[in-house]
Amino acid sequence: MNTPLTLVTSERSDGRPVLAVTGEIDMSNAGTLDAALARSADDSTLVVDLSAVDYLDSAGLTVLFAHAPRIRLIANPLLVPVLTISGLADVTVVEETSGDGRTGGGAVS
Amino acid sequence: MTRCDDAERGSPGAAGAAVFAADEEVGRDLAGVDWRKTPLGPPDGWPQSLRTAVSILLSSRFPMWMAWGPELTFFCNAAYRRDTLGQKYPWALGRPADEVWAEIWDDIGPRIGTVLATGEATWDEALLLFLERAGYPEETYHTFSYSPLRDDDGAVVGMLCVVSEDTERVIGERRMATLRDLGSDPSVVRTEQEMLAFACRQLGRNRHDLPFTLTYLFDDDGRARLAGTTGIPAGHPAAPADLAFDDPDGVWPAAALARGESVLVSLGGARFTGLPSGNWPEPPAQAVVVPLLQQGSAPYGFLVAALNRYRPLDRGYQGFIELAAGHVAAGIASARSYQAQQRRAEELAELDRAKTVFFSNISHEFRTPLTLIMGPVQELRSRLRDADAQVHEELEIVHRNGLRLGKLVNTLLDFSRIEAGRMQARYEPVDLAAVTAELASVFRSAIDKAGLAFEVDCPPLAEPAYIDRNMWEKVVLNLLSNALKFTFDGSIGVRLRHRDGHAVVTVADTGIGVPADELPRLFERFHRIESARSRSNEGSGIGLALVKELVGLHGGTITADSVEGKGTTFTIRLPLGSGHLPADGLVPTGAAEPGSATADPFVEEALRWLPADGTAPRETAALGVSATASSPAPDGGAPARVLIADDNADMRDYLARLLRQSYQVTLVNDGQAALEAVRADPPDLLVSDVMMPRLDGLQLVAALRADPRTAGVPVLLLSARAGQEASIEGLEAGADDYLVKPFSAAELLARVRANIELARMRNHHARWRSAMIESLQEAFFVADESGAVVEINAAFADILGYGPEGLPYTPLHPWWPDEAEDPQAHAMVGEAFAQLVSEGRGSCVIPVTHRDGHQVWVAVTFNDVTDPDTGRRRVVGTMRDVTAEHYLVQRESALAALSMRISQAGSLSDTLSGALEELRDVWHARRVLAVLWQEDAERPVLTVPGSAGLRWQDLPEDLRERITELRGHPPLRPLADEAGGAGITLEHPGGLLAVWIDLDQMRPFTAEDQTLLALLTGRLGQGLHRAHQLDQQREAAVALQRAILGPSRLPDGFAVRYEPATRPLEVGGDWYDIVPLSGDRIAVVVGDCVGRGLEAAAVMGQLRSACRALLLQDAGPAQVLGALDRFAALVPGAKCTTVFCGVLDTATGELVYSSAGHPPGILAHPDGTTLLLEGGRSTPLAVRPGHPRPEAECTMPARSTLLLYTDGLVERRRRPLTAGIDQAGAAVQDGRSTPIEDLATHVMTRLAPDSGFNDDVALVLYRQPAPLEVAFPAESGQLAPVRTALRDWLSRCELNPSMIQNVLVAAGEACANAIEHGHRHAPGHMIRLRAVATARDLRLTVADTGRWKPPQPEANPHRGRGVALMRALMHHVTIEPGAAGTTVDMHARITR
Repeated sequence: MNTPLTLVTSERSDGRPVLAVTGEIDMSNAGTLDAALARSADDSTLVVDLSAVDYLDSAGLTVLFAHAPRIRLIANPLLVPVLTISGLADVTVVEETSGDGRTGGGAVS
Repeated sequence: MTRCDDAERGSPGAAGAAVFAADEEVGRDLAGVDWRKTPLGPPDGWPQSLRTAVSILLSSRFPMWMAWGPELTFFCNAAYRRDTLGQKYPWALGRPADEVWAEIWDDIGPRIGTVLATGEATWDEALLLFLERAGYPEETYHTFSYSPLRDDDGAVVGMLCVVSEDTERVIGERRMATLRDLGSDPSVVRTEQEMLAFACRQLGRNRHDLPFTLTYLFDDDGRARLAGTTGIPAGHPAAPADLAFDDPDGVWPAAALARGESVLVSLGGARFTGLPSGNWPEPPAQAVVVPLLQQGSAPYGFLVAALNRYRPLDRGYQGFIELAAGHVAAGIASARSYQAQQRRAEELAELDRAKTVFFSNISHEFRTPLTLIMGPVQELRSRLRDADAQVHEELEIVHRNGLRLGKLVNTLLDFSRIEAGRMQARYEPVDLAAVTAELASVFRSAIDKAGLAFEVDCPPLAEPAYIDRNMWEKVVLNLLSNALKFTFDGSIGVRLRHRDGHAVVTVADTGIGVPADELPRLFERFHRIESARSRSNEGSGIGLALVKELVGLHGGTITADSVEGKGTTFTIRLPLGSGHLPADGLVPTGAAEPGSATADPFVEEALRWLPADGTAPRETAALGVSATASSPAPDGGAPARVLIADDNADMRDYLARLLRQSYQVTLVNDGQAALEAVRADPPDLLVSDVMMPRLDGLQLVAALRADPRTAGVPVLLLSARAGQEASIEGLEAGADDYLVKPFSAAELLARVRANIELARMRNHHARWRSAMIESLQEAFFVADESGAVVEINAAFADILGYGPEGLPYTPLHPWWPDEAEDPQAHAMVGEAFAQLVSEGRGSCVIPVTHRDGHQVWVAVTFNDVTDPDTGRRRVVGTMRDVTAEHYLVQRESALAALSMRISQAGSLSDTLSGALEELRDVWHARRVLAVLWQEDAERPVLTVPGSAGLRWQDLPEDLRERITELRGHPPLRPLADEAGGAGITLEHPGGLLAVWIDLDQMRPFTAEDQTLLALLTGRLGQGLHRAHQLDQQREAAVALQRAILGPSRLPDGFAVRYEPATRPLEVGGDWYDIVPLSGDRIAVVVGDCVGRGLEAAAVMGQLRSACRALLLQDAGPAQVLGALDRFAALVPGAKCTTVFCGVLDTATGELVYSSAGHPPGILAHPDGTTLLLEGGRSTPLAVRPGHPRPEAECTMPARSTLLLYTDGLVERRRRPLTAGIDQAGAAVQDGRSTPIEDLATHVMTRLAPDSGFNDDVALVLYRQPAPLEVAFPAESGQLAPVRTALRDWLSRCELNPSMIQNVLVAAGEACANAIEHGHRHAPGHMIRLRAVATARDLRLTVADTGRWKPPQPEANPHRGRGVALMRALMHHVTIEPGAAGTTVDMHARITR
């Protein structure tokens, strides 16, 4: 039984595609995330909204690293240390939410 | 001299300053001169020629001065200032030259005048000038040239002087010349007087440096005598003829000089008026007085050197005077030693002359009485030819010795004649071959008798030789006598040959030869080669010297060639013809008086050296054999035995004849034979000559004294060497008495009798002493300083088997235990022996080995004494066989020690291992092992003290076999193994037990050892059975106790301790209980019954069970205690029990509790504060039954620690309970970050009194929340639920969200890794996660059964990333891969 994960693809007002992720990402469901990212692969930058993700481990990080050149991340403060320590924040843009799931504040690099 | 003040100098003329620029310093001073006051005027008005001259002057580094103008104004440069001008600078600058050099103007003024007048330069070399540049007129020498200086018009207006000072060189050369002359020719100087006259001549030639000198020499009577002067007339007050040391008013300080000090004397005062001035205008003002030093002794005297007042006394001057004095002293030394040598030589020559005269006179004096003795003796011999043998024999001795004395006297007389030049030789032409052969034949019988070959090879010569027959006889006979004396094997040969106009006679032997270093002195008078082996030690050392003189009188030469050990050849070369001889000494053939009886004494003497043969039966009987004719000793016992050693047969016979009357006499003819005879059979007295071949008398005595067996033999020395030194030498060597030849028969007999009686008395004591010692029951021994046993008695031989026949027994004695076989025993004996040698007294019990090999224990007591005979240290000891006692004591003490060990042992295994240790110590065994064959066990069980892990199968095969063999052997019968071990079997409660003693060394296991082993193992068997019974009882009791004590398995988060006050019980009146209730609730109870021990434990058990039952019915703490009140009232001894009862919700930390008179619980918060649970308190149980009990509540914050305890933990005498509670609180608080189990130990240790708890102690610790323990299958789907559980537990720990997130990710990574391994190696396998929190620390452990992968980012990038994340998020991560799985341990510090 995999850890539950919800993936919703939408479009922002500027027309950019957004992949909103809800739940916890671990080795049991990282493959699902990878598939979703692969599906939405086109030329434009994909915004991956992780503000509703409570947990992200190295399995999830590995998936995000694979797609790093073409994604931007939105993450809640809880995830930011992991993104920073892993070095993902160095290779892609990470936007930090205020903590309640809504995008706010500046990008963390 | 005069100097000007600085104020007189003008101010610098700025315009002229440039003239002086060439030298900064002198230039500045020149510029400072007020030139307006000089005829030259200010420098800016000077002509170019003057400016140039000044400039050249200043820039030169050669000393120069110049004068210019009508007043010859003075200029100079820096070099001149330094070398010559001295203190006159800068005053001299700008002054008229005749003012500057006023003192020498007489010398230099005319020279300068000449230069100015003629314009020609002058040249002066080493001109003596008295300069006053240092405050006094100084002797100086200068080489200089004055050259003209011209003005711009070419007129001579000044002069330039270039100068170099030669003072040092001139004076140095002068002094050197004096020193050289002083040492010029010491060889011609013979006497002190001559030497001093010589030295004074040399010193007097230098009146410059030494205006006058005085040389004084010290007398023996404390005065100094004037021995030489220079430059001062005799009788001058400054030169007294002699001086007393102790006269403080003496002209010269003689006393200081006698001590070797130098003194500077000021020559002022009346006594120094009118002093000569030497080569100077003024007399000296000072004198240096220096000692004439003598090496290693007081000075010979001193030298007064008046000083040149025109030179300073610098180091060079002082050194010159000291060197001069040194020359004089050396001269005195050599003159005196030469004198001493000369005196000695003269004395010696005088002595020699006196001796010759003496010999000459005495020899003459001897001849008269000798003639008067020999004549009548000769007559008596013929007249008494038929008298009895003894008379005849005595006459023969008189005759022989008369001849010998006559020969000696004649030789001495010959010598003195030769010496005095009065030897009248009468040379007649003879057939040298015939004469020589005839002389040689005289010796044939003696040589034959000595067993030597005699080869005479004298073919006739073609012409006669001129010889004095008497002299020639002496030459040949002396040489032959000499040859016979030193030849023991081989041959003696006489040869005559004609060679180069010479008759060459050789006398060759195959004797002992002469050492090479002695050869040059062979012909010296009275020179005898010491310690040469010879037939006789008699001899004057004069024979060969005489031979040489006699041959010399014939114009011939004699030489000796010798090889030590091979033989000696004397070669005489006589010129043939008569041309070399004085004409007045020549006589025709046959005119000289015929050869007299000269030969007789030589041959007679030689014959006496030889062992007697059949022709002299009396000697056969005497030599080395006890004389038969002896009379009994006066006291009626066996006659005393006297050994006589003398190389002179006559003396030997004489002594024998004297002593044979009363003693049993044995004769030997040298020291070595005497030594052997004494060793073979010690006589009662040894009478020995001092001078003997092979071993002389002194050496003989020394050898006898050195050997304990012969040290006691009394010795009477006889010697012809008179004088006290000789007798002291003899007595020092250890002789008992000393008699000087000649001695009277009565004196000899008296001395012999006294010595024998003394010895007999001593021997009587000795016999009595040995009889007494022999009668001792104990072994007795005497040891010398080295520890060698030199005397023993019969009991000694009985105990050790070593008898007197083997004496002395030198260390290591044969009874020492073998070091390899029994090192301990060997060491014990070694230690005792060391004490015996070093301290000399003591007592000990040691094991020794009997001659037959068995071990004997002996008690030895010893003491040191001084041997009254020799003065040497001796150790006297007694010894007793204590073998039986020793083994008895050993058995008793071993048994006692074993019993002690067994009684102390708490269990069966303790008993066994303790006993084995004891056995090991008794035998000093390498190890002792016990093997138990249990009935149902597969393998025997091994017990080896000191090697806990050793198993039966680890033992060597052969040892296992040997031990297994024991099984068939009846119990308690020891079995000794030849290979160094012993075994025995006994009954063990568990089966048959074999005990094996591994002796390691090849040490015998004796019968005594076996008895002891049986005894000890018997006792062990009893001990084992007793221990077994005790064990069974204890096991039952422990099982019971455990049943009534707390739960065997505790919920997580708890730690407990229980310490009963009474041992060996493991229970008491205190208890704790932890009862899991429904949900997350747990009940915790701690109680304390009155009293201790089993009785209290019984009460406690009932209360605990009742309490537990009540709690399980979901009763609250107050309810439980209320019910217990009633229950306790029914149980005897339960009244007044105190109880703390609480119910804890582990999920929330809420604690509801009630206390029945129990000490308050302690709650330690993570922030370091402490809370006492003092609520809910009421009386102890059954005090007020039916009375309602209160209840209190509190909440344990996350990571707080709860301590519940009984009063044994905190209650101490003479201390309030609150102090103990505070102490306990502090201990918990200190350990709030320590794992809970460690904390329990920490609290118990910290609160335990030094003597241990004296009351029961029960203790319960709990930390909220309890550790999280999750086990889950290795599947990725498990990660989310585990995460949820962990997140929940972490929030209960009240950590901040970011830390929770970090820990979650780190733990998640560890779990993910574990799952990967699980999948790979064992799908579905379990993974365990454990999390523990303390006040400040968090520890997580993830354990799996797989193998951890080292990070390999290329192969599996996200897994490597995982480990990196763990390390980044936690403070410390360790990954321990193991065979059974991998454990990840993570640690994080909790920040507030």
